[in-house]
Amino acid sequence: MILTLAISVSLPQISSAEQTPPVNGIVVGVETDDAGVLTRFAVSDSTGTIHTFTIFNGTEYGLENQAGDRWVSTQESEPSESARRLRDHRERFAPITVTSENGTAFSVVEREQGRLETNLGYLFAVFAVTWALFFAYVLYLGRKQRVLQHEIYRLKSASHK
Amino acid sequence: MNKFLDLIDPLLILSAAVMGVALYLVFIWVPTETNQGAVQRILYFHVPLAWGSMLGIFIVSGSSFMYLLKNNEKWDRLAVASAEIGVIFGGLMLLSGMIWARPVWAVWWTGEAKLTTALILFFVYVAYLMFRGYFPPGAQRQRLAAIIGVIGAVDTPIIYFAANLWSQAHPPIVTGPAASAESTLGSDLGTVLLASTIAFTFLFIYLVQTRYKIRKSEDDIIELKRASSASAMRGVN
Repeated sequence: MILTLAISVSLPQISSAEQTPPVNGIVVGVETDDAGVLTRFAVSDSTGTIHTFTIFNGTEYGLENQAGDRWVSTQESEPSESARRLRDHRERFAPITVTSENGTAFSVVEREQGRLETNLGYLFAVFAVTWALFFAYVLYLGRKQRVLQHEIYRLKSASHK
Repeated sequence: MNKFLDLIDPLLILSAAVMGVALYLVFIWVPTETNQGAVQRILYFHVPLAWGSMLGIFIVSGSSFMYLLKNNEKWDRLAVASAEIGVIFGGLMLLSGMIWARPVWAVWWTGEAKLTTALILFFVYVAYLMFRGYFPPGAQRQRLAAIIGVIGAVDTPIIYFAANLWSQAHPPIVTGPAASAESTLGSDLGTVLLASTIAFTFLFIYLVQTRYKIRKSEDDIIELKRASSASAMRGVN
Protein backbone atom coordinates (compact mmCIF):
# COMPACT_ATOMS: atom_id res chain seq x y z
CA MET A 1 0.00 0.00 0.00
CA ILE A 2 2.77 2.42 0.96
CA LEU A 3 4.76 1.35 -2.12
CA THR A 4 1.76 1.93 -4.42
CA LEU A 5 1.21 5.35 -2.89
CA ALA A 6 4.87 6.23 -3.33
CA ILE A 7 4.78 5.25 -7.02
CA SER A 8 1.55 7.11 -7.67
CA VAL A 9 3.00 10.27 -6.11
CA SER A 10 6.40 10.08 -7.81
CA LEU A 11 5.28 9.07 -11.36
CA PRO A 12 3.36 12.26 -12.15
CA GLN A 13 6.39 14.27 -11.06
CA ILE A 14 8.63 12.43 -13.55
CA SER A 15 6.14 12.55 -16.40
CA SER A 16 5.45 16.25 -15.84
CA ALA A 17 9.14 17.04 -16.35
CA GLU A 18 9.52 18.53 -19.84
CA GLN A 19 11.38 16.03 -22.04
CA THR A 20 13.41 18.18 -24.40
CA PRO A 21 15.13 16.72 -27.48
CA PRO A 22 18.93 17.16 -27.48
CA VAL A 23 20.12 20.54 -28.67
CA ASN A 24 23.03 20.68 -31.12
CA GLY A 25 24.81 23.96 -31.55
CA ILE A 26 27.55 26.40 -30.73
CA VAL A 27 28.28 27.83 -27.29
CA VAL A 28 27.49 31.54 -27.42
CA GLY A 29 27.53 32.44 -23.73
CA VAL A 30 29.13 31.19 -20.50
CA GLU A 31 28.18 32.61 -17.09
CA THR A 32 30.15 31.96 -13.91
CA ASP A 33 29.88 33.04 -10.30
CA ASP A 34 32.55 35.00 -8.38
CA ALA A 35 34.54 31.81 -7.77
CA GLY A 36 34.66 31.04 -11.51
CA VAL A 37 32.19 28.15 -11.20
CA LEU A 38 29.86 27.64 -14.15
CA THR A 39 26.26 28.68 -13.45
CA ARG A 40 24.64 28.97 -16.88
CA PHE A 41 25.54 28.71 -20.55
CA ALA A 42 23.81 29.44 -23.85
CA VAL A 43 23.85 27.48 -27.10
CA SER A 44 22.76 28.66 -30.55
CA ASP A 45 21.37 25.87 -32.75
CA SER A 46 21.45 25.62 -36.57
CA THR A 47 18.32 27.75 -36.90
CA GLY A 48 19.84 30.54 -34.81
CA THR A 49 17.62 29.88 -31.77
CA ILE A 50 19.38 30.52 -28.45
CA HIS A 51 18.89 27.90 -25.72
CA THR A 52 19.94 28.75 -22.17
CA PHE A 53 20.84 25.97 -19.74
CA THR A 54 21.44 25.93 -16.02
CA ILE A 55 23.62 23.23 -14.53
CA PHE A 56 23.58 21.15 -11.37
CA ASN A 57 26.12 19.00 -9.55
CA GLY A 58 25.21 15.94 -11.61
CA THR A 59 25.74 17.57 -15.02
CA GLU A 60 28.03 15.30 -17.03
CA TYR A 61 30.64 16.47 -19.50
CA GLY A 62 32.42 14.79 -22.39
CA LEU A 63 34.24 17.56 -24.22
CA GLU A 64 37.31 17.43 -26.43
CA ASN A 65 40.07 19.97 -26.69
CA GLN A 66 41.57 21.08 -30.01
CA ALA A 67 43.98 18.12 -30.02
CA GLY A 68 41.03 15.72 -29.69
CA ASP A 69 41.70 14.69 -26.06
CA ARG A 70 38.40 14.04 -24.34
CA TRP A 71 37.71 15.41 -20.87
CA VAL A 72 35.06 13.38 -19.06
CA SER A 73 33.83 14.62 -15.70
CA THR A 74 30.88 15.98 -13.73
CA GLN A 75 30.10 19.43 -12.42
CA GLU A 76 30.57 18.25 -8.85
CA SER A 77 34.03 16.74 -9.49
CA GLU A 78 35.56 19.73 -11.31
CA PRO A 79 33.32 22.77 -10.80
CA SER A 80 35.50 25.38 -12.49
CA GLU A 81 36.94 23.27 -15.32
CA SER A 82 33.58 23.09 -17.13
CA ALA A 83 33.46 26.87 -17.61
CA ARG A 84 36.97 26.85 -19.07
CA ARG A 85 36.09 23.97 -21.43
CA LEU A 86 32.90 25.64 -22.64
CA ARG A 87 34.71 28.94 -23.22
CA ASP A 88 37.31 27.02 -25.27
CA HIS A 89 34.46 25.54 -27.35
CA ARG A 90 32.95 28.99 -27.80
CA GLU A 91 36.25 30.39 -29.09
CA ARG A 92 36.75 27.48 -31.50
CA PHE A 93 33.09 27.39 -32.62
CA ALA A 94 33.19 23.69 -31.75
CA PRO A 95 29.64 22.30 -31.74
CA ILE A 96 28.20 20.48 -28.71
CA THR A 97 25.13 18.41 -27.91
CA VAL A 98 23.18 19.17 -24.74
CA THR A 99 20.55 16.90 -23.24
CA SER A 100 18.32 18.66 -20.76
CA GLU A 101 15.06 18.75 -18.88
CA ASN A 102 13.26 21.96 -18.02
CA GLY A 103 16.32 23.97 -19.01
CA THR A 104 18.71 22.04 -16.74
CA ALA A 105 21.59 20.41 -18.61
CA PHE A 106 22.11 16.73 -17.85
CA SER A 107 24.93 16.08 -20.30
CA VAL A 108 27.16 18.33 -22.37
CA VAL A 109 29.16 16.46 -24.99
CA GLU A 110 30.83 16.95 -28.37
CA ARG A 111 28.19 17.23 -31.06
CA GLU A 112 26.73 13.84 -31.82
CA GLN A 113 24.42 14.55 -34.74
CA GLY A 114 23.53 17.62 -36.77
CA ARG A 115 19.97 18.56 -37.64
CA LEU A 116 20.17 17.64 -41.30
CA GLU A 117 16.76 18.93 -42.28
CA THR A 118 17.07 22.48 -41.06
CA ASN A 119 19.88 23.96 -43.10
CA LEU A 120 18.87 23.34 -46.73
CA GLY A 121 17.88 27.00 -47.02
CA TYR A 122 21.50 28.07 -46.56
CA LEU A 123 22.66 25.73 -49.35
CA PHE A 124 19.94 27.08 -51.62
CA ALA A 125 20.96 30.67 -50.82
CA VAL A 126 24.59 30.03 -51.83
CA PHE A 127 23.54 28.17 -54.98
CA ALA A 128 21.02 30.82 -56.06
CA VAL A 129 23.28 33.83 -55.40
CA THR A 130 26.31 32.23 -57.10
CA TRP A 131 24.48 31.31 -60.30
CA ALA A 132 22.36 34.45 -60.48
CA LEU A 133 25.52 36.55 -60.29
CA PHE A 134 27.41 34.48 -62.87
CA PHE A 135 24.49 34.48 -65.34
CA ALA A 136 23.99 38.21 -64.90
CA TYR A 137 27.69 38.84 -65.42
CA VAL A 138 27.90 36.65 -68.57
CA LEU A 139 24.87 38.47 -70.02
CA TYR A 140 26.44 41.83 -69.12
CA LEU A 141 29.69 40.84 -70.86
CA GLY A 142 27.83 39.65 -73.96
CA ARG A 143 25.85 42.86 -74.16
CA LYS A 144 28.93 45.02 -73.69
CA GLN A 145 30.82 43.06 -76.35
CA ARG A 146 28.00 43.62 -78.88
CA VAL A 147 27.91 47.37 -78.18
CA LEU A 148 31.69 47.62 -78.60
CA GLN A 149 31.69 45.59 -81.82
CA HIS A 150 28.97 47.86 -83.20
CA GLU A 151 31.04 50.91 -82.25
CA ILE A 152 34.17 49.48 -83.92
CA TYR A 153 32.14 48.75 -87.07
CA ARG A 154 30.75 52.30 -87.06
CA LEU A 155 34.18 53.90 -86.60
CA LYS A 156 35.76 51.74 -89.29
CA SER A 157 32.92 52.57 -91.71
CA ALA A 158 33.29 56.30 -90.96
CA SER A 159 37.06 56.19 -91.54
CA HIS A 160 36.61 54.48 -94.92
CA LYS A 161 34.20 57.18 -96.17
CA MET B 1 18.56 34.50 -81.03
CA ASN B 2 21.70 36.19 -82.36
CA LYS B 3 22.23 37.82 -78.98
CA PHE B 4 22.21 34.40 -77.37
CA LEU B 5 24.51 32.88 -80.01
CA ASP B 6 27.01 35.71 -79.48
CA LEU B 7 27.64 34.33 -76.00
CA ILE B 8 28.29 30.78 -77.15
CA ASP B 9 31.94 29.89 -77.03
CA PRO B 10 33.58 26.41 -77.07
CA LEU B 11 35.07 27.14 -73.66
CA LEU B 12 31.65 28.10 -72.31
CA ILE B 13 30.18 24.83 -73.64
CA LEU B 14 33.02 22.86 -72.05
CA SER B 15 32.61 24.80 -68.83
CA ALA B 16 28.83 24.17 -68.78
CA ALA B 17 29.31 20.45 -69.48
CA VAL B 18 31.85 19.98 -66.67
CA MET B 19 29.69 22.13 -64.37
CA GLY B 20 26.71 19.87 -65.14
CA VAL B 21 28.73 16.81 -64.10
CA ALA B 22 29.97 18.63 -60.97
CA LEU B 23 26.41 19.64 -59.98
CA TYR B 24 25.23 16.05 -60.42
CA LEU B 25 28.03 14.87 -58.14
CA VAL B 26 27.39 17.63 -55.57
CA PHE B 27 23.62 17.22 -55.28
CA ILE B 28 22.94 13.57 -56.17
CA TRP B 29 26.03 11.41 -56.06
CA VAL B 30 27.94 12.39 -52.92
CA PRO B 31 26.40 11.34 -49.57
CA THR B 32 25.29 13.95 -47.05
CA GLU B 33 27.93 14.64 -44.43
CA THR B 34 26.68 13.44 -41.05
CA ASN B 35 27.78 16.30 -38.78
CA GLN B 36 26.88 19.39 -40.78
CA GLY B 37 24.15 18.02 -43.03
CA ALA B 38 23.17 19.64 -46.33
CA VAL B 39 25.01 22.86 -45.55
CA GLN B 40 28.34 21.01 -45.91
CA ARG B 41 27.69 20.94 -49.69
CA ILE B 42 28.47 24.66 -49.70
CA LEU B 43 32.11 23.49 -49.43
CA TYR B 44 31.90 22.32 -53.08
CA PHE B 45 31.21 25.93 -54.12
CA HIS B 46 33.22 27.75 -51.47
CA VAL B 47 36.58 26.03 -52.04
CA PRO B 48 36.55 26.37 -55.90
CA LEU B 49 35.51 30.02 -55.52
CA ALA B 50 38.42 30.56 -53.11
CA TRP B 51 40.72 28.81 -55.58
CA GLY B 52 39.43 31.07 -58.39
CA SER B 53 40.04 34.22 -56.34
CA MET B 54 43.61 33.10 -55.56
CA LEU B 55 44.24 32.09 -59.18
CA GLY B 56 42.97 35.53 -60.17
CA ILE B 57 45.44 37.42 -57.99
CA PHE B 58 48.29 35.20 -59.21
CA ILE B 59 47.41 36.08 -62.82
CA VAL B 60 47.04 39.77 -61.90
CA SER B 61 50.43 39.66 -60.21
CA GLY B 62 52.19 37.66 -62.96
CA SER B 63 50.80 39.71 -65.83
CA SER B 64 51.45 42.98 -63.94
CA PHE B 65 55.05 41.89 -63.52
CA MET B 66 55.26 41.05 -67.22
CA TYR B 67 53.75 44.45 -68.07
CA LEU B 68 56.40 46.21 -66.00
CA LEU B 69 59.05 44.11 -67.74
CA LYS B 70 57.84 44.21 -71.37
CA ASN B 71 55.57 47.28 -71.38
CA ASN B 72 53.16 45.36 -73.62
CA GLU B 73 49.44 46.27 -73.43
CA LYS B 74 48.29 42.65 -73.61
CA TRP B 75 49.69 41.96 -70.13
CA ASP B 76 47.84 44.96 -68.72
CA ARG B 77 44.61 43.75 -70.36
CA LEU B 78 45.08 40.29 -68.88
CA ALA B 79 45.73 41.80 -65.41
CA VAL B 80 42.58 43.92 -65.43
CA ALA B 81 40.46 41.07 -66.82
CA SER B 82 41.72 38.71 -64.09
CA ALA B 83 41.15 41.34 -61.41
CA GLU B 84 37.54 41.84 -62.44
CA ILE B 85 36.78 38.10 -62.45
CA GLY B 86 38.84 37.67 -59.27
CA VAL B 87 36.75 40.23 -57.39
CA ILE B 88 33.58 38.30 -58.34
CA PHE B 89 35.07 35.00 -57.22
CA GLY B 90 36.43 36.65 -54.05
CA GLY B 91 33.09 38.25 -53.22
CA LEU B 92 31.25 34.96 -53.72
CA MET B 93 33.88 33.14 -51.66
CA LEU B 94 33.26 35.50 -48.73
CA LEU B 95 29.48 35.33 -49.14
CA SER B 96 29.36 31.52 -49.37
CA GLY B 97 31.65 31.27 -46.33
CA MET B 98 29.40 33.60 -44.34
CA ILE B 99 26.28 31.64 -45.28
CA TRP B 100 28.01 28.38 -44.28
CA ALA B 101 29.21 29.89 -40.99
CA ARG B 102 25.73 30.99 -39.86
CA PRO B 103 24.32 27.49 -39.15
CA VAL B 104 27.65 25.85 -38.30
CA TRP B 105 29.31 28.55 -36.17
CA ALA B 106 26.14 30.49 -35.28
CA VAL B 107 27.73 33.73 -36.50
CA TRP B 108 27.99 35.32 -39.96
CA TRP B 109 31.55 36.49 -39.43
CA THR B 110 34.39 36.27 -36.95
CA GLY B 111 37.74 38.02 -37.00
CA GLU B 112 39.87 34.90 -37.26
CA ALA B 113 43.02 34.76 -39.42
CA LYS B 114 41.77 32.92 -42.51
CA LEU B 115 38.66 35.08 -42.84
CA THR B 116 40.54 38.31 -42.26
CA THR B 117 43.26 37.52 -44.82
CA ALA B 118 40.59 36.47 -47.36
CA LEU B 119 38.80 39.79 -46.77
CA ILE B 120 42.12 41.59 -47.33
CA LEU B 121 42.46 39.79 -50.69
CA PHE B 122 38.99 41.04 -51.66
CA PHE B 123 40.01 44.59 -50.68
CA VAL B 124 43.23 44.24 -52.72
CA TYR B 125 41.09 43.46 -55.79
CA VAL B 126 38.73 46.35 -55.03
CA ALA B 127 41.68 48.75 -54.49
CA TYR B 128 43.26 47.65 -57.77
CA LEU B 129 40.02 48.18 -59.73
CA MET B 130 39.18 51.45 -57.96
CA PHE B 131 42.66 52.78 -58.66
CA ARG B 132 42.25 51.95 -62.34
CA GLY B 133 38.80 53.50 -62.32
CA TYR B 134 39.74 56.83 -60.74
CA PHE B 135 43.33 57.45 -61.90
CA PRO B 136 43.61 59.28 -65.28
CA PRO B 137 44.25 56.85 -68.18
CA GLY B 138 47.77 56.46 -69.45
CA ALA B 139 51.03 54.60 -68.97
CA GLN B 140 51.50 55.93 -65.43
CA ARG B 141 48.14 54.47 -64.31
CA GLN B 142 49.04 51.11 -65.81
CA ARG B 143 52.46 51.07 -64.15
CA LEU B 144 51.12 52.01 -60.71
CA ALA B 145 48.25 49.51 -61.04
CA ALA B 146 50.80 46.85 -61.99
CA ILE B 147 52.76 47.59 -58.81
CA ILE B 148 49.56 47.19 -56.72
CA GLY B 149 48.89 43.93 -58.57
CA VAL B 150 52.35 42.54 -57.83
CA ILE B 151 52.17 43.51 -54.13
CA GLY B 152 48.63 42.11 -53.81
CA ALA B 153 49.77 38.53 -54.42
CA VAL B 154 51.70 38.54 -51.12
CA ASP B 155 48.40 37.89 -49.32
CA THR B 156 47.70 34.61 -51.17
CA PRO B 157 50.13 32.22 -49.40
CA ILE B 158 49.12 33.80 -46.06
CA ILE B 159 45.46 32.90 -46.77
CA TYR B 160 46.37 29.37 -47.77
CA PHE B 161 48.46 28.66 -44.69
CA ALA B 162 46.38 30.76 -42.25
CA ALA B 163 44.34 27.81 -40.93
CA ASN B 164 47.56 25.94 -40.13
CA LEU B 165 49.55 28.93 -38.83
CA TRP B 166 46.82 30.21 -36.51
CA SER B 167 44.64 27.25 -35.49
CA GLN B 168 41.26 28.82 -34.84
CA ALA B 169 37.73 28.20 -36.02
CA HIS B 170 38.23 27.75 -39.78
CA PRO B 171 38.46 24.09 -40.86
CA PRO B 172 42.06 23.02 -41.65
CA ILE B 173 43.47 22.88 -45.20
CA VAL B 174 41.83 20.00 -47.09
CA THR B 175 43.63 20.24 -50.43
CA GLY B 176 47.10 21.04 -51.73
CA PRO B 177 50.59 20.45 -50.38
CA ALA B 178 49.88 21.73 -46.84
CA ALA B 179 46.86 19.46 -46.23
CA SER B 180 47.58 17.13 -43.34
CA ALA B 181 46.61 13.44 -43.36
CA GLU B 182 43.82 14.02 -40.81
CA SER B 183 42.34 16.95 -42.64
CA THR B 184 42.36 15.42 -46.15
CA LEU B 185 38.87 14.71 -47.44
CA GLY B 186 37.54 11.20 -47.95
CA SER B 187 37.70 9.84 -51.50
CA ASP B 188 34.04 10.63 -52.42
CA LEU B 189 34.19 14.15 -51.06
CA GLY B 190 37.61 14.70 -52.63
CA THR B 191 36.36 13.55 -56.06
CA VAL B 192 33.42 15.94 -55.95
CA LEU B 193 35.59 18.80 -54.78
CA LEU B 194 38.05 18.13 -57.61
CA ALA B 195 35.27 18.01 -60.24
CA SER B 196 33.75 21.22 -58.91
CA THR B 197 37.15 22.94 -58.87
CA ILE B 198 37.81 21.93 -62.51
CA ALA B 199 34.35 23.22 -63.51
CA PHE B 200 34.88 26.57 -61.79
CA THR B 201 38.38 26.82 -63.29
CA PHE B 202 36.94 26.47 -66.81
CA LEU B 203 34.33 29.10 -65.96
CA PHE B 204 37.07 31.37 -64.64
CA ILE B 205 39.13 30.98 -67.85
CA TYR B 206 36.06 31.61 -70.02
CA LEU B 207 35.18 34.78 -68.12
CA VAL B 208 38.76 36.09 -68.18
CA GLN B 209 38.98 35.38 -71.91
CA THR B 210 35.69 37.21 -72.59
CA ARG B 211 36.69 40.16 -70.41
CA TYR B 212 40.06 40.29 -72.15
CA LYS B 213 38.36 40.50 -75.55
CA ILE B 214 36.18 43.35 -74.30
CA ARG B 215 39.22 45.20 -72.99
CA LYS B 216 40.89 44.71 -76.40
CA SER B 217 37.79 46.10 -78.15
CA GLU B 218 37.82 49.13 -75.82
CA ASP B 219 41.49 49.76 -76.68
CA ASP B 220 40.71 49.34 -80.41
CA ILE B 221 37.94 51.96 -80.14
CA ILE B 222 40.28 54.44 -78.44
CA GLU B 223 42.85 53.82 -81.20
CA LEU B 224 40.23 54.22 -83.97
CA LYS B 225 38.93 57.45 -82.44
CA ARG B 226 42.49 58.77 -82.15
CA ALA B 227 43.20 57.88 -85.80
CA SER B 228 39.88 59.40 -86.86
CA SER B 229 40.53 62.71 -85.07
CA ALA B 230 44.12 62.79 -86.43
CA SER B 231 42.86 62.40 -89.99
CA ALA B 232 40.19 65.05 -89.34
CA MET B 233 42.93 67.43 -88.14
CA ARG B 234 44.96 66.76 -91.29
CA GLY B 235 41.82 67.52 -93.35
CA VAL B 236 41.39 70.90 -91.58
CA ASN B 237 45.06 71.82 -92.12
